[in-house]
Amino acid sequence: MSTPWFLVRKHLADHWVRSGLTMAALSLALFLFCFVTSIVTTLDRAISSAAANRLVVQSAVSLFVDLPLDYQPKINAVPGVEDTSKMQWFGGYHQDESQFFAQFAVDHERFFEMYAKDISITEGPNGETGEAARDAALAALAAERRGTIVGSGLMSQFDWQMGQTVPIEAKIFPKPDGSAWDFVIVGVYEPIKTNVDNRTLWFRWDYFLETITGAEGFGDLGTGVFMVNMEPGADAAAVTSSIDALFANGPQKTVTTTEQAFQATFVAMLGSLPEYMQSIGGAIVFAVLFSVVNTMLLAARQRTRSSGILKALGFSNAALARLFFAESLFLSVLGGGAGVAFAKLSEQSMRQTLGPNMPGYGVEWSTIALGIGIAVFVGIVAGLGPAWNASRLRPVDALRSEG
Amino acid sequence: MLLPLRYSVRNAIVRKSSAVLTVCGIALTVAVFAGVLSLRAGFRSVYQPRGDENIAIYMRPGASSEGESAIRLEQAEILVKERPEIALNAEGQPLAAMETFLAVYMEQVQGGKVNVPIRGIQPRSLELMGDAVTLLRGRWMQWDSDEIVVGQPLTERMQSARIGDTVLLNLTPFKVVGVFEHNGAQNGEVWGDVNRMMAALDRPFYQRVIARVVDGTDIAALDKELRNHKRTPMQVQSERDYLFGQTRALSFQLAFLAGFLTLIMGASAVLGAMNTMLAAVAARTHEIGVLLSLGYGRIAIFLTFLLESAFMGFLGGIAGVALTLPFDGMGTGLGNFNTFTDVSFEFTLTPELVGMSVGLAFFLGLLGGALPALRAARLSPVDALRGG
Repeated sequence: MSTPWFLVRKHLADHWVRSGLTMAALSLALFLFCFVTSIVTTLDRAISSAAANRLVVQSAVSLFVDLPLDYQPKINAVPGVEDTSKMQWFGGYHQDESQFFAQFAVDHERFFEMYAKDISITEGPNGETGEAARDAALAALAAERRGTIVGSGLMSQFDWQMGQTVPIEAKIFPKPDGSAWDFVIVGVYEPIKTNVDNRTLWFRWDYFLETITGAEGFGDLGTGVFMVNMEPGADAAAVTSSIDALFANGPQKTVTTTEQAFQATFVAMLGSLPEYMQSIGGAIVFAVLFSVVNTMLLAARQRTRSSGILKALGFSNAALARLFFAESLFLSVLGGGAGVAFAKLSEQSMRQTLGPNMPGYGVEWSTIALGIGIAVFVGIVAGLGPAWNASRLRPVDALRSEG
Repeated sequence: MLLPLRYSVRNAIVRKSSAVLTVCGIALTVAVFAGVLSLRAGFRSVYQPRGDENIAIYMRPGASSEGESAIRLEQAEILVKERPEIALNAEGQPLAAMETFLAVYMEQVQGGKVNVPIRGIQPRSLELMGDAVTLLRGRWMQWDSDEIVVGQPLTERMQSARIGDTVLLNLTPFKVVGVFEHNGAQNGEVWGDVNRMMAALDRPFYQRVIARVVDGTDIAALDKELRNHKRTPMQVQSERDYLFGQTRALSFQLAFLAGFLTLIMGASAVLGAMNTMLAAVAARTHEIGVLLSLGYGRIAIFLTFLLESAFMGFLGGIAGVALTLPFDGMGTGLGNFNTFTDVSFEFTLTPELVGMSVGLAFFLGLLGGALPALRAARLSPVDALRGG
């Protein structure tokens, strides 16, 4: 005898409150599972998307110890080095200190060339777009000392306009007169890679240097790090060790790392947080499992009698099992799928909410596959108990039972 | 007439498998809630300022943490010598210390570099800390020598942070000669002589001046006065305010995380509890009919089902806290992006957190039980008696 599939629909519909509650619980849980998993994968992505041909030269002691400026020509002369740019963390804020974003002083004639594969300039000073935007923005930056190229996220967050002068308050580098620094927006960029966020402000190193010279309490001005692009085919290990060998005897010892390792140090600052996130993900999976197993047990208990009738009519154990599995898989895949889909759909707004805490937040397809896999697994496990109980059921007892 | 409490409790226990699964769902929610918040509590307790309010921190105007501040040497000297609010010790010397601060790379035991705060201090720094700091092993560094002492948590978490090890600061090796314990924010730091630090790192400026101010000093007014001061422009904060400011970002993020996770997992658990209770009501329809015809009121029926659900919630709360207990006191470290340094601390399951967690679980149980209890209370006695 074939399986009476219509019963699945009938059972689910008869107990629509229970079916609905279970699916809602599942979709919430799988949404959350995808969220915590995505936080971990986003962190991994930030490391793995770093440019393979880029090195970072920094002080061996601390990220906050400057390197002397006369290091730059020496690094440029190392075989295998294509180009370098100074990069100095500015650490200021616009309007409100809690609206954090990064600002960097860079060698503007070289930096945007070096980063052509990392960020794309999408808007020029006179509304240029596409290919023309890049040339126009860089020309305007060359002409305007206070010029800056900013991320699209900043433009929308602060409602900035092209050509506008924006004041940035300095926490680390106050101007000698204590006033805010002014920057003129001459271009907008979009990140190409996930390790760059869309809320950074890049400005000219020479403007930084001339403004800060003569200000108090800085000692000899240097730069935080040098970004180095290697020539195609250069051996990263060889370039690294020749750069570090140059400065082994000071005045500041350096540590040269790949951009990937540099990014990894920032992620490492989170300590064990990614592991805790994964444990939470595990807790959620178990909570889901309990919830669906419970529902299916309740459903099976209420149907002891009708299962008995089916058996008395001659339906096989396998047919009964198929009914239970179909029901639990329907609940778990539909509910879980909704949660997973919502996690993917809410990606954009989540990225906005998390802001600079988690730039480039994204739900990977592998996370989605994992989420759906869990839903299927939960469905199968939840069907096991009822199917097993039904197979051991004696029709006579079942027919006698209440409910 | 109310039904005895025992009736609710017994009913919850009788339907074992279903109740256990519901309790487990609530327990996991509570465990996540308590776990994240005990992480936050541990982190915050590190920054809990001890004792008196009369410790003031002077930094360059605009700096939001020590790492961003810089004070010229002669400026600091003038400040300490001339400011009338700075208290004097028994010998008539100002109770003020000039300090440097830098986040330096240290290699963790399990590999990977983290930023560890290293502080150049003066003898007066120790005097200002008083009994907040104790030497656990070894000895204090000799002033004006290349020696350092390290905070207790670092000896376990970092390589080369034990007595006898050397730490290379640029080109100068510093020898570890002692281990201290500070019952506050500076427990995870490395300390050395301020002049030696400045020389080794070639950073000839201080990051802050810390001082005891005389009783009754209005620090807010002082801050206003000094911000635009000609010779010594400074921003002044009490140590308490300063430390609080340093925890804001991470503390907020953890609270947000706990809230977000609890909201969604909690909603999921409530739906599960609701399912269980609806089934309980359905299975006991006949019984409800009997109770109603015996003269029990609808309120009594409502309360008894509500209590049953709340009892499961309560059990879930206990189980959830039990799941979190093994973490209590476990050492961990997180980066504080306010100071850009690594902070060592322990998961701390405070009594308030235990109370909050069990309370949350009880509440989840109540929430899940409300609708089913209402459905039970609204049954008509005749129909219910006919029911299975």
